[in-house]
Amino acid sequence: MKSDLTVQFGFLPPWPLEAAPSLWLAVALIAAVLAGELFARTAWLPRMSGYILTGLVVGPGMLAVTGGSPIADWRLVVELALGILLFELGTLVNLRWLGSNRWLVVSSLLEAGLSFGAVFLILRHFGTPSAIAATAATITIATSPSVVVRIAAELRARGQVTDRLMLHTALNSIYAAVGVNLMAGVLHHEFRGSTLEAVLYPVYLLCGSVLVGTSFAIVFRRVERWLGNHEEVLSFLLLGMIALTVSVSATLKVPPLLPLLLAGIVVRHIRGRPLVYPPHFGSAGAVLIIVMFVVSGMSVPLEQLMQGAVVAGSLVLGRFLAKLVGVLAIAGPSGASWRQATALGVGLAPMSGVALLLTLDTARLFPEFGAAVESALLGSIVMLELAGPVMTFAALRLAGEANQ
Amino acid sequence: MPLQAFSQSKPLTLGVELELQLLSTNTYDLVESAEDLLRIVGRRDHPGEIKPEMTRSMIEISTSVQSGYQSLLGELRDIRGALLEAARFLNIAIAGGGTHPFQHWGERKIFDAPRFNHLSELYGYLAKQFTIFGQHVHIGCSGPDEALRLLHLFGRYIPQFIALTASSPMVQGFDTQFDSARLNSVFSFPLSGRAPYVLSWTDFGRFYNKMTGTGVVESMKDFYWDIRPKPEYGTIEIRVCDTPLTVEKAAALAGYVQSIARYLLVEAPFRPDEDDYLVYAFNRFQACRFGLDGQLVDPRTHERIRIGDDIVDTLARIEQHAIELGAEGACKAVRDSLAAGNDAQWIRQRYAAEKSLPEVVRQQSEFWAAGK
Repeated sequence: MKSDLTVQFGFLPPWPLEAAPSLWLAVALIAAVLAGELFARTAWLPRMSGYILTGLVVGPGMLAVTGGSPIADWRLVVELALGILLFELGTLVNLRWLGSNRWLVVSSLLEAGLSFGAVFLILRHFGTPSAIAATAATITIATSPSVVVRIAAELRARGQVTDRLMLHTALNSIYAAVGVNLMAGVLHHEFRGSTLEAVLYPVYLLCGSVLVGTSFAIVFRRVERWLGNHEEVLSFLLLGMIALTVSVSATLKVPPLLPLLLAGIVVRHIRGRPLVYPPHFGSAGAVLIIVMFVVSGMSVPLEQLMQGAVVAGSLVLGRFLAKLVGVLAIAGPSGASWRQATALGVGLAPMSGVALLLTLDTARLFPEFGAAVESALLGSIVMLELAGPVMTFAALRLAGEANQ
Repeated sequence: MPLQAFSQSKPLTLGVELELQLLSTNTYDLVESAEDLLRIVGRRDHPGEIKPEMTRSMIEISTSVQSGYQSLLGELRDIRGALLEAARFLNIAIAGGGTHPFQHWGERKIFDAPRFNHLSELYGYLAKQFTIFGQHVHIGCSGPDEALRLLHLFGRYIPQFIALTASSPMVQGFDTQFDSARLNSVFSFPLSGRAPYVLSWTDFGRFYNKMTGTGVVESMKDFYWDIRPKPEYGTIEIRVCDTPLTVEKAAALAGYVQSIARYLLVEAPFRPDEDDYLVYAFNRFQACRFGLDGQLVDPRTHERIRIGDDIVDTLARIEQHAIELGAEGACKAVRDSLAAGNDAQWIRQRYAAEKSLPEVVRQQSEFWAAGK
């Protein structure tokens, strides 16, 4: 009898059922979307927070339903999603504006400078070596491009605060990226004692980024001319080219942040015509971005939260106040009202978990770096991953620029 | 509120109001930046006035009282300069045109001021639909009876003014087939249309008192007529024009209007007649729909003439008056624009070439900034 059953039901899977790892990710994705909708109904929480929180719950820190390192397993998706958001940010930057309103440059430099200074001094206060404190302070200059672009898209925000938020985020991301590249040289010198490498390494990173970014823009322009005025095809073309750039950057060992941001800026400026495509190039891009935020939630190092809480807390607070003071100080001359400048200062708070983790990967070239600051930085990621999106969301709403 | 006394103003003086579009430099859709722009332009002295309008993505500029075309043009250019400087400082683009070609009315936000909030409550979606951009031309009149006479004499020329300035072919992303679709939005207001046929200020006051007595209107502002008397300025105000794509064209139209006014007052070529209004709505429709190619029916001879040809005819009749007023430049610009086509045609041509409405709007904003 028994052998008959086996024969008859041999097509059935073995009992007990064993779930494939992808099942949990699919479940997490569905849960994330539902959590996002739940958050959206509150009107004061962005969907993104639902995605990140879901990631946090299912991630290694809590339920641990997925094994391995999520950010490594999903690196391709995360980098592509980040690439999309960085390129979008680039296209939202109007460089001519900087020419007509020089105070914006002052505001941006001040905000970035104060943010650097605050984080540097706080880390020094807690006994971090100078070179390492400076590198960490440079990384934290950057406002998270992915959070800012995604929140503005969700709110369909437009207006002064939105425009300034994009401009300041793009600029401080560039300062941070260039600064980290230069710091990499300093670290080489400091810990390896190799002067030639200390010079060549940042030069390679910067030239590589500029080359990849501008080639993107030139190639895109050529292809577009050949295509003629078929705006609907542009989304697909751009998506493909972003994937290509991510891959080329990886091959060249150049972090993709600077190339993609530059590509967006250069495309906008050599093109002239307004770029019209749906946010994130349509639903395909939007799904990648949801996955990215879930993964970034999974990567939140919960165990570090308690460990580095004091340093991390002071770092987050100091950085936030520095940015707020920086933009408030130049509010009047740059033509923003107090309300707008406050919203801008608050909106700049998010720190990019993903970008930071990717940078830490690079920084792990130097074990001394990780050991000294990692827990403080990771702790601050936890705080800002959760609080940042909510702050930007509230800032744009209070500025009256949301169009829900 | 009783009808105001009609102020004295110097006959044939000019004033122009232009409603303008505020645009995002990313998408070239409308952007709610009126408050920001007003705050920045308010920091410096500039000629004329810059004021808010019904929704937060519009702004209105108005000139001071001008005696002629050249000084009017000069002031409009100065205001444009001040406005452009402030707009660039804030990353806003500005454009002319009677409608924004692809904005969605539902996304508009009412400018927070008592009058606009009241209108929004009363008119519902019509208030947001009123995100349309017009040019108003004021002509000074020596007295109220002269003003009313001029108002009704001008009725005959309304189709010309519509056809010359028409710049609103696109609405909500589609070609309406109209050259001026903007006026269709004005017609949906209950008190739009033409002023009642009365020729003395006493009779007008009687009509006004009856209307306020019904409670339907509270002040002259509640009449959305094509031409209305403006007693506080001592002018009549022609309100049918779309905002042209450049201030140069707006000034030319004003100079043309002024020359016609002088011709009507000095030569008195015909007397006002209520029967002229029998064809008024038909002619106005022709101008909105077909622009310069529209057919005009002469209410007295019953002849039909192409509106563009009627303008050529008028230009010949008013030539001497234009010279007297120093408005030859304006009449020359009007004549040139007959050959080049109106702004609605410009917009359609750009769209045919570019196949992208945001790009058309971007070119509109560059055109407005550069002038011609």
